[in-house]
Amino acid sequence: MADVAVTPRARAGGIRKLLERYPFLPALVIVAALLLLNGVFSPNSLSYRSLTGLLSTYMALIMLAIAQTYVVYAGDIDLSAGSILSLVNVAIVVLMERWGGGAGAVLLALALGLLLGLACGLVNGIVVAALRLQAIVATFATSIFFTGFALYILPVAGTPAPALFWRTYGGRLLGVPFVFYILAVLVVLLLVLSRTRLVTQLLAVGDDQQAAFQTGLPVVPVRIKGYLLCGLFSALAAFCITGDTASGDPLVGGKMTLYSVAAVVLGGSALSGGWGTVVGSLLGALTIGLINSVVFFMGTPSEWQNFVQGLAILVVLMAGVLAGRRARA
Amino acid sequence: MKKLVAVALSTVASIVISASAVNAETFKIGLSNGWVGSEWRTQMIDEAKAAAEKWKEKGVDVEVSVQSANVDVPGQIAHIRNFIAEGVNAIIVNPNSPTAFDPIFAQAKEAGILVIATDAEVSSPDAIYVGIDQTAWGAAGAKWLAETLGGKGKVVAINGVAGHPANEMRVAGYKQVFKDYPDIQIVNEVNANWDQAQGQQAMQNILATYPDVNGVVVQDGMAAGAWKSIMDAGKTGQIAATGEIRKDFIDLWVKDKLNSGATVNPPGVMASALNVAVLMLQGKELKEPAKAGQYGNALYLPIPFIDSKNLGDAAKQLEGKPGYYSYTSSLSIEEAEALFK
Repeated sequence: MADVAVTPRARAGGIRKLLERYPFLPALVIVAALLLLNGVFSPNSLSYRSLTGLLSTYMALIMLAIAQTYVVYAGDIDLSAGSILSLVNVAIVVLMERWGGGAGAVLLALALGLLLGLACGLVNGIVVAALRLQAIVATFATSIFFTGFALYILPVAGTPAPALFWRTYGGRLLGVPFVFYILAVLVVLLLVLSRTRLVTQLLAVGDDQQAAFQTGLPVVPVRIKGYLLCGLFSALAAFCITGDTASGDPLVGGKMTLYSVAAVVLGGSALSGGWGTVVGSLLGALTIGLINSVVFFMGTPSEWQNFVQGLAILVVLMAGVLAGRRARA
Repeated sequence: MKKLVAVALSTVASIVISASAVNAETFKIGLSNGWVGSEWRTQMIDEAKAAAEKWKEKGVDVEVSVQSANVDVPGQIAHIRNFIAEGVNAIIVNPNSPTAFDPIFAQAKEAGILVIATDAEVSSPDAIYVGIDQTAWGAAGAKWLAETLGGKGKVVAINGVAGHPANEMRVAGYKQVFKDYPDIQIVNEVNANWDQAQGQQAMQNILATYPDVNGVVVQDGMAAGAWKSIMDAGKTGQIAATGEIRKDFIDLWVKDKLNSGATVNPPGVMASALNVAVLMLQGKELKEPAKAGQYGNALYLPIPFIDSKNLGDAAKQLEGKPGYYSYTSSLSIEEAEALFK
């Protein structure tokens, strides 16, 4: 019995090590498989133009999923991420318009947008970590608050973003679509962040808060910093959605929050904290986008599209969980 | 220029490939619906599909391709991208946001695709809107109520979701009408978020606070709930209130002889838009270009109204249908043709 068990274990050792080193590998395989499926059903969907479109549409969800990952690292959650996105979206659009829509106005509005995202993150951090309210309910409450603020700034969807802004986002620089530059900068940024002490501390807090506290980690400030990162990336997500939609909409992010949580889990991170990667979340967001299109390209009848979509997400989730469990076992 | 040639070539190629049937015109139309929360939307899509089938009799092959799921705004932008990748001739969309689709509609137009929004107006200059005018919708109900009350009385309004463009337009519509009736007093306005339970609750509160209220302007999706409160309070005979177009409500209306009138927001709007789309794809030109509305791109359809005079006909149309089925109307192919030169 023992002999039989040893052989596959030894062989699985290589995969296991690989999975430990790169926990997002299952997510990568799933994205590759979905791309392939899309290509089979609609070859046109793999064209350069279509892939650029996929990236520019889902860049916002990618950013939001990354935002969510940093709080999930510490075992927290942020149900207000989508509302922060809406709030920053309407704030920057209104500011850009008020200031005339020139390059200076755009940059200044973006800078203020980042500050606004950080401020929202700070509110969440204080409410959850310092006041010790349960994260899931506390951030649900702040999400209503942020949405209210967004509706105050812009009561009805409207107000176009300056052409300079959205044409840059949707356009090209030196012949390469602008979103690819964003992706490149994002990857570098994530690499740098992943080597910082903060990320290790967040993971340590998420793994075992009590132990982290006893080894002398400042647990409360670390969790607050997690929410600050979340606010920051939610603001970046807002920039992307503003670039892709060229307008302000106070309700635009509402539905995106749960998708961001789903992307984090699809990317192989554990909602209980202490385990995960941001690259996985990036791939998780793409997975959601690719599932949506493959369901359509397969020719699923409209009344079954929701059903198949949900089922596909469940299947991918299961595949990821099985692979991840093996790595951690 | 190169792109233009490529587009032209691919269009020619797709026409050549699809024209295998003898002399039959073939159009591929994508339908995108971003919210699947009510039967109204399902009926909207079913009617559009049926309208596409009808074109067969005219020798036109209309192939519809549907994307309908609960999606966020980026998800619906992805719908449009998928249609562009698929190479459809036209896209008809019931949009999740009035403004967020400007850039993607511009791309669709660049790819030579006709874009039509229905049910909710969009700000894009690259699309047209084919549907009802929500302001006129709000005004029609108010006009009926004002006339039913003989031009005087105390009225309350139960509105939908604050900040939603359609709701704001409907509210503006009834306010405009009541301005012409100085003896009608709006005593209160509440939001019940297009939810029957909230509508019922709101009406209960109103009846408790203003026992002498004569009329209620309530939008569809909440009117059945509001009427339930009115009937529970035993005030069926004393209050006039706007109603709904769903079969279960119309049955109740007939049975209990309610004093009601319903502006119809027909689920057939998408079918109407489809007929307009096919005619435009055939290269026909509108007699009157679509330039109405706040965005200057709307083609407004007539809005039917149900009151005691034609209630019987409405009930007859809905006979044998399930309770959630809505009274509907849409432009037939001939009626749509009449709009064109």
